[in-house]
Amino acid sequence: MGVADQPEARDRDLMARLRQGDEDAFRGLFHRYAPSAKALAKRIVRQSHLAEEIVQEAFMAVWRDPGAYDGERGSVRSWFMGMVHHRAVDLVRREEAHHRRAEAAIPEALEEQTDHADDVVRQLGLPEERRIVRAALDELPPEQRQVLEQMYFDGLSQSQIAERTGIPLGTVKSRTLLGMRRMRSGLQEVER
Amino acid sequence: MTLDHYRIEELMAAEALGGLDDGDRAFLDRERAAHGACTTCGSIEAGFAETAGRLGFALTPEPIDDDMVDRIIAATARPPVAADLETPRDELSARRSRRPWAWAAVAAAAAAVMVLAVVTLTPRTTQVTEATSSQRVVAFTGTSEGTLAMAFTPGETGAVFWGSGLPDPSPGDVYEIWMIEDGAAVSGGCVTPVDGVIALHVDANIGTTDTMAVTSEAADCPTAPTNEPLLLADLTTIV
Ligand SMILES: [Zn+2]
Repeated sequence: MGVADQPEARDRDLMARLRQGDEDAFRGLFHRYAPSAKALAKRIVRQSHLAEEIVQEAFMAVWRDPGAYDGERGSVRSWFMGMVHHRAVDLVRREEAHHRRAEAAIPEALEEQTDHADDVVRQLGLPEERRIVRAALDELPPEQRQVLEQMYFDGLSQSQIAERTGIPLGTVKSRTLLGMRRMRSGLQEVER
Repeated sequence: MTLDHYRIEELMAAEALGGLDDGDRAFLDRERAAHGACTTCGSIEAGFAETAGRLGFALTPEPIDDDMVDRIIAATARPPVAADLETPRDELSARRSRRPWAWAAVAAAAAAVMVLAVVTLTPRTTQVTEATSSQRVVAFTGTSEGTLAMAFTPGETGAVFWGSGLPDPSPGDVYEIWMIEDGAAVSGGCVTPVDGVIALHVDANIGTTDTMAVTSEAADCPTAPTNEPLLLADLTTIV
């Protein structure tokens, strides 16, 4: 059993209870994932209050319709973070359609982040997940990692990345694929 | 003609990361339809979705207001019980759209600042409801299925939209929200529903807008409407 399997079993148990309308199970999921979800949303939309709104909407969706989670398709944590990510990117794209957001707010790089919230993380039992994901990211060639981060954390599309960096679009696409393939197998390897 | 799985994998990698451009998305959607219940496609997609979802955990968590969970529970209808587990998704959506009042409750919690009194939002009627002394909630009416409501504070920038049970726009199209004053329309932005649901904040001053409208438009989000409104909300009746 991989190190990440045990929390997943717990999550699936929480989801099963949530389908019965168990409020404690919902609170359990919230406390496990809300801080990570907020970090992700804030990184993308860059405003704390909008990030909180996104997290709230995502948890509302889970509370209202826990049956939307399909255990055949992946882990609870990925499914939930996928919902948060989708909402955050959607919001950023809509704003872009209106006015290009200020370039001034340069997002902090992952490696520059301080671990000031370690106590929170420890409480939530997620540092192991963070270690695994960061280790897998560290294994990527820098040019692949950069493309993945610009897309996932900065909400940029492939053509926007090509435009900003001057890298041909075809290269951005191939780096995306290679990076994702490597990340996928890297996550599996780190867990072993 | 359908693509080989290498190209599909390339497109799905970008899709999972949220970085697929609109043209490529239309392309992928066509290929996906052509491949139907292809297990290779399904496995690629699920693998990348799993990978992308976990990327979010690389960030250092952010403290969050603990009361949020109580607000959600207090404001939202209880989820379906175990008997609903086998209910087909479309039936669940239909049930959701039959109790649209729940979305008004969603509004109450999501905006956090709103204390809604009795709110009934139905697809074919407009009811304007007092929120606090200064906040307003208005429902859209029109030919589209589903419900859409907007919350805003007169004189202040920003409006929040919630919708449910909304049909997907035509492939390659989006919904565009318009603020209309004396017949002139200003775009409030474009949005695509996710599972029929829209939840968005528009950073615009509703100000002297007399009518809000929603049209289906091309994905480039034009600066003037090119289609007839699907949904409308009259703001002139708001005190
Ligand atoms: Zn296929």
